[in-house]
Amino acid sequence: MRDVYVLGAGQSSFGSFPEETYLTLFDDAFDAALDSVDGEFDPGEIEEAYLGTLGVGGRQIGLSGPAVTEHLGLHGVPTTRVENACAASGFAFRQAVTAVKSGVVDVALAGGYEVMTDASSDHTRWWLGVSGETEWERTSGTTFAGVYAQMASAHMDEYGTTAEDLSRVAVKNHANGAKNPKAHLGFECSLEDAVSAPSVADPLNLYHCCPTTDGASAAIVVSEEVAREASDAAVQVAGAGAASGRVGLFQRESLTSVPASVTAGESAYEQAGIAPDDLDFAEVHDCFAIAELLAYEDLGFCERGEAGRLLREGVTDPDGELPVNTSGGLKSKGHPIGATGTGQIVEAFKQLRGEAYVQVDDPKYGLTHNVGGSGGGVTVHVLERGEFA
Amino acid sequence: MRGIAAAGAYVPRFRLTTDELAEAWGTSHASGIERKAVPAADEDALTMAVEAAERALSSDAVDRDDLTLAAVATTTTPAEEGELLPRLARALDLPRSVATATVGGHTAAGAEALSRALDAEGPALVVAADCPAGEPAEGDHPLGAGAAAFVVDDDAPATVTGTAWYTEETPGVRFRERGGEEVASLDVTTYQRNAIREAVTEAVSSLPVDPADADAASVHQPDGRFPYRATADLPVSNGAVAAGTVVDRIGDAGAATVPLGLLAALDADDTGSDEGDAESAGTSIAAFFGGGTAAAVAVGGGLAVEGIDDLEDGTTIDYASYLRERGYVVSGDVAGGGAHVSLPNWRRSLDQRYRLVAGVCPECGGVSFPPEGACQSCHSRIEFEEFEAPRTGTVRALTVIGQGGAPPEFAELQQRDGAYAVAIVELEAAAGRVRLPAQVTDADPADVDVGDEVRATVRRIYEQEGVPRYGVKFEPIESE
Repeated sequence: MRDVYVLGAGQSSFGSFPEETYLTLFDDAFDAALDSVDGEFDPGEIEEAYLGTLGVGGRQIGLSGPAVTEHLGLHGVPTTRVENACAASGFAFRQAVTAVKSGVVDVALAGGYEVMTDASSDHTRWWLGVSGETEWERTSGTTFAGVYAQMASAHMDEYGTTAEDLSRVAVKNHANGAKNPKAHLGFECSLEDAVSAPSVADPLNLYHCCPTTDGASAAIVVSEEVAREASDAAVQVAGAGAASGRVGLFQRESLTSVPASVTAGESAYEQAGIAPDDLDFAEVHDCFAIAELLAYEDLGFCERGEAGRLLREGVTDPDGELPVNTSGGLKSKGHPIGATGTGQIVEAFKQLRGEAYVQVDDPKYGLTHNVGGSGGGVTVHVLERGEFA
Repeated sequence: MRGIAAAGAYVPRFRLTTDELAEAWGTSHASGIERKAVPAADEDALTMAVEAAERALSSDAVDRDDLTLAAVATTTTPAEEGELLPRLARALDLPRSVATATVGGHTAAGAEALSRALDAEGPALVVAADCPAGEPAEGDHPLGAGAAAFVVDDDAPATVTGTAWYTEETPGVRFRERGGEEVASLDVTTYQRNAIREAVTEAVSSLPVDPADADAASVHQPDGRFPYRATADLPVSNGAVAAGTVVDRIGDAGAATVPLGLLAALDADDTGSDEGDAESAGTSIAAFFGGGTAAAVAVGGGLAVEGIDDLEDGTTIDYASYLRERGYVVSGDVAGGGAHVSLPNWRRSLDQRYRLVAGVCPECGGVSFPPEGACQSCHSRIEFEEFEAPRTGTVRALTVIGQGGAPPEFAELQQRDGAYAVAIVELEAAAGRVRLPAQVTDADPADVDVGDEVRATVRRIYEQEGVPRYGVKFEPIESE
C-alpha cells in the first residue's frame, strides 16, 4: 500500500445561493482546490472522481456525479456519485484515498455538493428527514433535529450535561466562523444569545442547530510520487477510518454515543500510529451541538460525560489544548450536506499548511470527523503535515 | 343464559365545559350537559373502540383467542366505506376466523350489535364507539365522544334477561345526509319528543321485567333532560334514570352514550361476587333509540367495569383548542409529500405497530425491534423467536417537536394538537430490553421527562393518500 497525499483542497463559499446550481458551486470549489496547489498541476491528470451528495430537493437524482465532472471539462473521467447522507463526501474522500493507496490510480478527485435553499419550506422539510430511519423514526413524527435532541436528553439525564454546555458549542464555533470569509453564518454570538434562542426540538434550540446551506468542496488526492513532484507542502492522509452503524437511534446499544464514530476513530488512530493526545486540532461533525459533545467522547478527547467540562474549560477553543472546529464547524461555516466531509478536509489542509483563518500554532496532526444521519455512517481521517525534504 | 362477562369503558381525556361553549357562542344548545368529552386529534371511533375493547379483554374472564364474533356499533366510521373491523381485530390480535359485524346509521346501533352477540355461540365482543360531529354554531354543542365494550358469554355475572324492539317511521329526528359529516335534526320539538317517548315506552314495556324494579335505566340521552322526558310514561324512577345517565359528563356520544350509561349502571351494581348472584342483584335497563327504532335490554346483576372512572376524569380545554382538536378549523391536506413507507410495508409491520412484537436471538439472547435483519446485539443472521413486549415502559430519550417543526405528514396533527413529544421508549420484557421511537400522546409535552413511565395505546399516526395509518403511541401513567 502506498502513502496518500492531499495535493490541494478548496471550497466554494458556503451560504444561501438559491440562484447557483450544484454545477456552478462545484466549479468554485474545484477552482479553489486547483488554486491551493503550490506547484504545477494539470487537472487533466485526474483519473477518477468520487463525488458525494444527498441530492436534497430531488434535482438530478441519477448521474449527478458525471454531470459535475463533464461540466468541469474533466471529459470522460470515470465518476462515482457517493450517497451516505451528511457523510457523503467523507466517504467520497475515503474512496479516492483507497483508489490511490491501492495503486489503481495516481490522481483522484474527491468532493461534494448540495443545494438546499432554493425550494419551498414544505419541500425542504420533506427532504430534511430522509436520512433518519424511515419506517419507525420518521413515522414517530421526529425530525432530524428531534433525533439529536433525543440523544441530548439522554446525555443530560445520564451525565448532567446542561443547555449551557450545548450553547458553548455555538459560541465557540461562531467565534471561529466569524473569521472565515467563506462561512455561511459568519457572526459571533454570546452565551446569552445561544441559551435563550427559540426552541427547535427541545432540548435543542436554534443555536444548537446548524443551518441548511448551499455549497461545494473538493480535494485532489494523489500518490506520494505525484505529491513530491507538484508540491513542497502536500498533506499526508495518515489514517482513514470508517464504520457503519444502525440507521435508527433506537436500534443502537447506546443513546449517548455514536458507536460508528468510536470504531472509525480507533481505526484512523491506529493507521496513523497516534493517540488522541497527539492531535493538534480537529474538525468534528457538529450538525447539532450535542453531536460535538458526543464526538469529544467517542473520539477519545475525554472520558464519557466529560465533554461539557472540555467546553467550559476552553480546552477546544483556538488557544486551548485541542482546538475544535476552527473553520466555524457545521454550525457557523454551514452544512451543505454532501459538501461537508471534504469541506472539513479543506480546513485541515489549510491548518497543516499554516493557511487557516483561525490558525493553530504549528500543527502536525489534525483530525476530521464526518457523520451520516444520526450515526449510520462515519468517516474519520487523520491528516499529517507533509515533510518533503 | 347469556350475559355480560367483562366490560370496558373509554372516554377521551379532553373535556369542554358548557360554560366555555356558552362563552364562545353567547348561548349553548347543550341542555343538562355540564361538560363533554373531546376526542384528541389522533383519536377516532376505531382508536376509542380498541382502547375500550383492550380494557374489557384485560379481564381474566375471557381469552381473546376464543372470541367467535366481533361487532362494532358506530355512526362515525373513519371512512364512509372501508375497513373498520379488520383493523380492530388486527389491533386486538383477535383470531382471523372471527365473524365480524359493523353496525351504523343510527344511534341505536349498539342494540343491534349486542343482539348479534346474544344470538352468537361462544364469547363475543361488542364495542360501541362514537364521536359525532355537527355544525359548530348549534348542532355540535351537545356532541361528545366515548366507547363501551362488552364481552358477551354464557354464565356471565351480569345476565341479559330480555330484549325488546319497537320500530316506526320517524323522519327528521336525527339524520346525516349522504357524504355529510354533520348530524342534523329538524327540531320539530313536540313531534320528536312524543315519537321517541312512545317508541321507548313500547320497547321497555315489552321487557320481561317490571320497569318499576329497575335500579338504573340508561335511556336515549341526546341531552341531560331528555331521558327523564322519554320515560315520563313509564314507572321508572328519576333515581334510576340518573344512575344510567352519563351525557351530563361526556356529552352525546352517538351510538356509545346508552352503552356507556349501561356500563355505569352495571359497575354501580357490582357486588363483587361471582356469577350466580344475578337474582339477588339489581336490574338495569338500557333503552336505545335511533333512526325510528327503539330497543330495550334488561340486565340482572353487575360487574366491575375497567375504565369507568374515565367518566369523571378529564382535562378541561378552551374553545379554540376544542375547534383545533376536533379538526373543525384545520385543513387535512398534507403539502410537500410524506414519508415514503408504502402501505404494503406498513401492513407488514402491523405486529409491531399494534402488538409490539419483538424478537430474541437464539444465538446470543439479545433482543431486536423490529425482529428483522441481523441481530442488533451479536449481528448474526438468525431467525428471531418472536414475543409480545409488555405494553408499559419507560421514556429513555425525549424531544418535543414544536409548532411548525413537524415533518409534513404530521403537520395536521400538530396544527390540531399542538407541540408533541417523541420518545425512545424502553419496554422491559422477560427476554430483555425492547426499544422503539414513538409519540407520547395525551400529555402536555412540557410535563414529560426522561424516566417517566408510559403505557401503549393505539392511535392514528398519519393519513396519506386518503388512508389513515394506525399504530402504537404511548401515554403517561398517572402517578398516584
